[in-house]
Amino acid sequence: MFSEELKAFRRLGFRHVLLQALNFASVIASGLMIWKGLGLLTNSESPIVVVLSGSMEPAFYRGDLLFLTNPASERYHNGDITVYKIPGADIPIVHRVLETHDVKSRGSSVPNQRLLTKGDNNEVNDIELYRGLSYLERKHIVGKVRGFLPYIGYVTIAMNDFPQLKYALLGGLGLLALIQRE
Amino acid sequence: MHTIWSRINNISALLSSCMMGLFAAIALSSLAQQFFQAPLDPSSVSITSLKVAPGKGKQSKVDHALVQFELDANLTPLFNWNTKQLFVYLDAEYTNSKGVKNSVVIWDRIVRSKSSAKFHVEARQKYAFRDVTGFRDSAATYTLRYNLMPHVGALVYGVAGSTNNSIPFPPLAKNNV
Repeated sequence: MFSEELKAFRRLGFRHVLLQALNFASVIASGLMIWKGLGLLTNSESPIVVVLSGSMEPAFYRGDLLFLTNPASERYHNGDITVYKIPGADIPIVHRVLETHDVKSRGSSVPNQRLLTKGDNNEVNDIELYRGLSYLERKHIVGKVRGFLPYIGYVTIAMNDFPQLKYALLGGLGLLALIQRE
Repeated sequence: MHTIWSRINNISALLSSCMMGLFAAIALSSLAQQFFQAPLDPSSVSITSLKVAPGKGKQSKVDHALVQFELDANLTPLFNWNTKQLFVYLDAEYTNSKGVKNSVVIWDRIVRSKSSAKFHVEARQKYAFRDVTGFRDSAATYTLRYNLMPHVGALVYGVAGSTNNSIPFPPLAKNNV
């Protein structure tokens, strides 16, 4: 079945395999560089996130792609949609700011902000989600939503929900990379 | 060269770049439309009743403000080909006696169609409005703001109207429990 491919593989030799490996590595490296570069530019640990829950419907649905920024000097305002991560919780949450309180902090011109958030589709505010904290602080916030693309991120949700799909896709891509000659 | 794989690859690449181009055109054109259009007619915001009461039980030390208001807004010009919905909210901003700047959303509404973007609302607050240090000697400005959420592209924020001056909080009502 694979005799043809094997023959081709022998003919092309070791150098070709190395070249393929190098190509592969450079694709991965440039992807990582773009991601980390974006992170530096936007001052956010994850500048692009996929919506995982329906708590912001009808504004955002599962699978929507959000673009975040988090400038260090900027205040947050009511109505801003933030992505925050509570220490100990593994999933970041996308919710809207409901209350802001600027507490003057000593020795710093930027006030220490305390925030309270709520999902548009939830009846009550997020205190229950804060794991004992009574408000959010700046350090919990990953970024502010600036722009948005509908449903593009659904692929990642599908891959999480159906792991078979992920393996099929990875396997298929790997096989193609090995077989293809060009 | 002309295998089925390369054809699939080419077609999907073309399709996705066309989609991205279309999305970018929609997002940019709607931003341009908002930039060049005439400013909104300011909405009227008035506070019809404002009381401050002490909390009950555990919250007895926390002041609760009870607000009733009247809104008259026409946000229909904000709807264009790229408007998915408007998130409209009434924001109370004040600085309390401890010098803390606060801003609290007391009411909000999601507007999903042009026909419901012109509204008259007489209501009381939807969310708790409280201050641990108390509302005494402070005054709040109430502003009606909107967040325009597009089908694709950038989120836009703006002000629809406000009570033109700040409204002082009345003294704490006697606890009549």
